[in-house]
Amino acid sequence: MPTYKLTYFNVRGRGELIRLLFAAGGIPYEDVRIEWDKWPELKSKTPMGQVPTLEVDGQLMICQSMAIARFVAREAGLLGKTSVDQARADMLLDGGMDLGKLFTEMVMEKDASKKAEKKKEFGEKSLPPFLALYEGFAGGNGYFVGDSLTWADIAFFNMMDFITAEYPSALDGYCNLNKVVDNVKTNPGVAKWLKERPVTDH
Amino acid sequence: MAPQYKLTYFNLRARGELTRFIFAAAGVQYDDNRIEFSEWPALKEKTPMGQMPLLEADGKVVCQSGAIARYMARETGLGGKSSWEEAQVDMFVCGVDDLITKLCDAHFASDEAVKEERTKALGPYVSKFLDNYEKLCGPEGHLVGTSLTYADLAFFVGMHDIWQHRADALEKYPKLAKVAETVRDNEGVAAYIAERPETNI
Repeated sequence: MPTYKLTYFNVRGRGELIRLLFAAGGIPYEDVRIEWDKWPELKSKTPMGQVPTLEVDGQLMICQSMAIARFVAREAGLLGKTSVDQARADMLLDGGMDLGKLFTEMVMEKDASKKAEKKKEFGEKSLPPFLALYEGFAGGNGYFVGDSLTWADIAFFNMMDFITAEYPSALDGYCNLNKVVDNVKTNPGVAKWLKERPVTDH
Repeated sequence: MAPQYKLTYFNLRARGELTRFIFAAAGVQYDDNRIEFSEWPALKEKTPMGQMPLLEADGKVVCQSGAIARYMARETGLGGKSSWEEAQVDMFVCGVDDLITKLCDAHFASDEAVKEERTKALGPYVSKFLDNYEKLCGPEGHLVGTSLTYADLAFFVGMHDIWQHRADALEKYPKLAKVAETVRDNEGVAAYIAERPETNI
């Protein structure tokens, strides 16, 4: 079995989806978390001056969080069973990332009054239509694609983990979406990881 | 029977062009359905997420340009030959996406001061991008492996706006210049480029 090493900061950020996928797939890996002050010297050793990076067998390295996540999902059998299923999962993930971008812009806003305005706008204008749309995409069985867990479910769970920290009641009333979250949380690998993972602000 | 493909998008390159290049490079027929802005509102509510481009493949509908491109790359054998190659291809395509986002963020900024700041930052960003890609690029005219993948196509499509500013942008980047040449020399791509409509973006 190949050895995997994930390098990222000690935050969830762009690394957590990858960590959840390793966990769900029961794939062992080294979860390297670097301190901010170690970053400058490491930066030039990465393909594009960014983390996360994934190293395989100490030799091959890639960056770009979604490329890494997709690779791990594929190795874990969580990509989707057919080519069309995989395209559907990709579609749902990309749609989620569009929302995630808006959310991140809001969270990162430094001006307090602009942030309050963005927070209201996101909570009232961006989030509800997205959740209503995705409630329709999720099956009554609590899976976005087919009839078993895929990385589309896990990515949704991860994103809502961030969003419900700012909007605790966001998922109230969304039957199918709550089932998706449940299916992810009760996956044995994920359940174990959620209990053990370091607690970080973001 | 061969699958029936239909790509629906505006008459723009923007988020449809990479998929058009994939069809062209692979020599796969498809309906390149370019719609007018006036037709969009009526169509919008019939789409999965109220957005384009859309791909219809034998009656199944998918949106999100990245998902569409990756699916067609996979179906046409342009996605990479192994799981690890696929991951490398993804890495390069994601990096081009980041570049395009930076170009769009600068181009479409409404606040003049923000636009100026972002445009100024583009020069160093593009240099860093090209430096990185040259370092990572394979020696044989392909970013990944030894045959065409959609990483090469994505790079070529991403370079469009950079070449508008500087036709010699790849002068100091021999491996990347070779990738661009490989893409340009592909029969299907050459025919497509010769025939495609001229658009602003």
